[in-house]
Amino acid sequence: MTIEVERAPREAPRRRYVGSRQKKLKGDLFVRGKARYVADIELPGMLHAAVLRSPHAHAHVKSVDVSRALEISDVVAAVSGEDARELTGPVPHFIDPAVFGGKTAEVRCLAVEKVVYAGQPVAAVVAASRNDAEAALDAIAVEYEPLEVGLEPAAGTQGGTLLYEGWEDNTIIHIPFVEGDVEAAFAEAEHTLEDEVRIQRYTTAPIETRGYVADWDTSAESLTFYGACQNPHPLRWVLSHALGLPEGKIRIVAPHVGGGFGLKMHGHPEEALVCMLSRMLERPVRWIEDRRETFLIGGREQTHTFKVAFDDEGRITGLRNNIVANVGALGAPPGWGMAFLTALSFPTGYRIPNQDVQVSIVATNKGPWNASRGYGKEATNLVMERIVDLVAQKLRMAPAEVRRRNFINKDEFPYKTNAGLNIDSGDYHGALDKALAMMGYDDLRAEQERLRAEGRYLGIGLAFELTPEGGDIPGTLVAGFDTTTVKMDPQGKVTVLTGVTTPGGGNETGIAQIVADEVGVSLEDVTVIQGDTGLCPYGFGNYSGRSMLVGGGSAALAARDIREKLAKVAAAMLETEPENLEFGEGVISRRDNPDASLPTETVAYSVLTLAFATAAMVEPTLESTRVYKPDNITHIPDEKGRIQPYPSYSSAVHLAVVEVDAETGVVDLKRFGVVHDCGTIINPTFVEGQMQGAVAMGVGAALSEELIYDDEGNLLTDRFKTYLMPRAGDLPSFEMEHQVTPSPFTLLGAKGAGEAGVGGSQAAVANAVNDALAPLGVTLRQMPLSPPNVLRAIREAAEKGGVS
Amino acid sequence: METKSIVAVRTTINGREHSAEVDSRLLLVEAIRDVFGLKGTHIGCLTGDCGACTVVVDGKIAKSCLMLAASADGREIQTVEGLARDGKLHQIQQSFWDEYGFQCGYCLPGMMFSAKELLETDPRPDEAAIRHALQGNLCRCTGYQKIVQAVSTAADRMSGGTNEEREDDHRDDTPTR
Repeated sequence: MTIEVERAPREAPRRRYVGSRQKKLKGDLFVRGKARYVADIELPGMLHAAVLRSPHAHAHVKSVDVSRALEISDVVAAVSGEDARELTGPVPHFIDPAVFGGKTAEVRCLAVEKVVYAGQPVAAVVAASRNDAEAALDAIAVEYEPLEVGLEPAAGTQGGTLLYEGWEDNTIIHIPFVEGDVEAAFAEAEHTLEDEVRIQRYTTAPIETRGYVADWDTSAESLTFYGACQNPHPLRWVLSHALGLPEGKIRIVAPHVGGGFGLKMHGHPEEALVCMLSRMLERPVRWIEDRRETFLIGGREQTHTFKVAFDDEGRITGLRNNIVANVGALGAPPGWGMAFLTALSFPTGYRIPNQDVQVSIVATNKGPWNASRGYGKEATNLVMERIVDLVAQKLRMAPAEVRRRNFINKDEFPYKTNAGLNIDSGDYHGALDKALAMMGYDDLRAEQERLRAEGRYLGIGLAFELTPEGGDIPGTLVAGFDTTTVKMDPQGKVTVLTGVTTPGGGNETGIAQIVADEVGVSLEDVTVIQGDTGLCPYGFGNYSGRSMLVGGGSAALAARDIREKLAKVAAAMLETEPENLEFGEGVISRRDNPDASLPTETVAYSVLTLAFATAAMVEPTLESTRVYKPDNITHIPDEKGRIQPYPSYSSAVHLAVVEVDAETGVVDLKRFGVVHDCGTIINPTFVEGQMQGAVAMGVGAALSEELIYDDEGNLLTDRFKTYLMPRAGDLPSFEMEHQVTPSPFTLLGAKGAGEAGVGGSQAAVANAVNDALAPLGVTLRQMPLSPPNVLRAIREAAEKGGVS
Repeated sequence: METKSIVAVRTTINGREHSAEVDSRLLLVEAIRDVFGLKGTHIGCLTGDCGACTVVVDGKIAKSCLMLAASADGREIQTVEGLARDGKLHQIQQSFWDEYGFQCGYCLPGMMFSAKELLETDPRPDEAAIRHALQGNLCRCTGYQKIVQAVSTAADRMSGGTNEEREDDHRDDTPTR
């Protein structure tokens, strides 16, 4: 396959669909209740699995006896970790820390000898129904020898309770991002400040849990795996390794997925487990996660201790930031890497010449992390925006002004950050002005003044957000490119098979819009197929806001090949040159004589039926498979050893208005606005939908969502009654405007949308709550800003004597 | 665990009579999905918190994970599959599609039933009333904004027009993509 590197956006086709508000393709399936999710799959002879989980956060597993479970009628199989070890290999890491010089640990689908978190799978039962399987778990006898439990990384960094054999401490990896002369910056600084932000453990919690159905074909000795998963092809690689089965013998199918947000990136023990059970029993086996199991998987829990050097004008000259991330037990999913990217993404969109950012990623006896929307970059935004507001507070300057003075200017792009990221483009000053105007900032401040006089605590919080998107991590199957096949049939209808998948957004519709424009057919004539390794070209699925960027980009390239071929044949048929042709919706016509036209169908039919005559000049296939690989990613280290793993960087400015009840600690989000810049917009409705969902998630992270463990390492918040996600009545309607600065480096000018919003809204809300309580001398350091944490901060400030 | 008991259930779902002998432990949502084969009703939590399993039981919305299948005996149930009539989408379905009132679609059936009940009691709800009515249904994709818009659009469509047009809340025009 040839890889053509193209700079964007060149001779654009007449855009009918790109940029317009099209409805979700096949939306009627969803509103009619006919969209099929993994839990809806019924196969003949299908059995149901349930998983026995460790009640201990750290223990030796002395013995597992499944014999009594096997005696129960309707139970077909019961397996221990020892049994599973005979039948499967380790689950390869999505991103192995060893690739970056860190420590690694073997992960198996069922624990062998030792458990390192409460909830770790130790045995499984397969029965005629899920209820039967779950009931039989009680009959499995496991003897544990409990070990000392380490839930906080502080001890672990020094040694403490060791989780894994052969490790000298629990630190998986320590990574520094140091640039400039930090010592000098602090020595010469006119002002310095130091503070802390502690980010709680929270998670993704899509409404559909994970679930898998494995179907072993005994005659073909092959496996079909249906899963709520985000990355079918890379998952096939994992299962191939774990099961010792060639990739060609495994087909992965992702049906409609009920929300992903990173949770459904793979490496979960149950994936290999159900495959193993199906192969063992020669029958389809299904496992559907329950809600309590979903909450075992965390994402984020880290402390940022920082020092800032700045001058009288509010210019930040130096930043020290020590990050300690509690990633729980090391799982095979890509969770731990989030903290790596938190550190890599400093100092977002600000010019800070001297920085010393260090991240320690530490294993503890909590549940493992998986990827979570924002992938650590949301934490960078929260912490940077707290830093900027603290600088503003110390200098008694307007927060907007401090941002203006530190932003990268729009004429400085591409701009290389301290960590080597090469930010493609943007206009941060422009977005800030737009946001302030949209929300009526000056009026809000006047209102705040008025309410303060009445003893009410209104707060206004501003936050800038930079989201590196479309990343490629070298040496892993986290790729910054993707592949699409576009085919046209003899009736002129188009089928698109793409390597990017949808976790439930609208990327299939966006891709269809791109292809319809490029090939010149109506949107109704494009069918998009995703998530099936048996049908789609090799691809990497969805993460890092990549689906429009590289899925859309590769679809555009493949569609252009089809268009080119149609143009040659149509030119012959219309007795003109290809350049003189115009592609409409299903019609190809001469530019100089629009009456001379042909239905696209006629031309497509001719390619295949007049291959030895009119269409002899083209290879008679209307099918093209193309890769889109942005050309500004580079893995060749620069003189400082830095790589540039992201092609594009979306940006946003958020503004939150809250009122805090200082008696109860309850925060009321009164207004929220965002100006978002994701470059070229393929479909504004979907971009808005992504941003609104991400903002809601960030508001939840800011105010209420938290995974809380007891001292023994048991998760206490294991249901929606205790893990508090925003409900409809908790949120206002978000005000939103777009700013469009197309990326000069991506084919379509798109920058990726979907992750942005989580960190920005979290930061804006955090800044607003701090702003509201400033008259009480309160600085909030512990997230979330839940009533207990707010009240504690108010009390502590009062004890210290109020305003400092 | 060997004390499984079986109960007989006879119920009307979307106008059709169903009867089955079911495990007495079975929840209504499990019976709807696995015994009666209507997969449009989803399971999100089984603790009554997320609302993905919301259906209509005897004219009132109910979270079907909080009812045993046995308790549906003799009752009339409507699920998402019964919202459209003769292939025509209900205005609420059409509005959720038109306004992008869902992304992954998992919470959608429950959302539509909560919306429908609201509009039956309050045909012109304001934003606060809509948000209040959706409090029992979690969505993780949309931030609720386009859901609220969808309900508002459905309200406009259902309360506009003449009485004859109002008689049926189903769309006559063929849905387009």
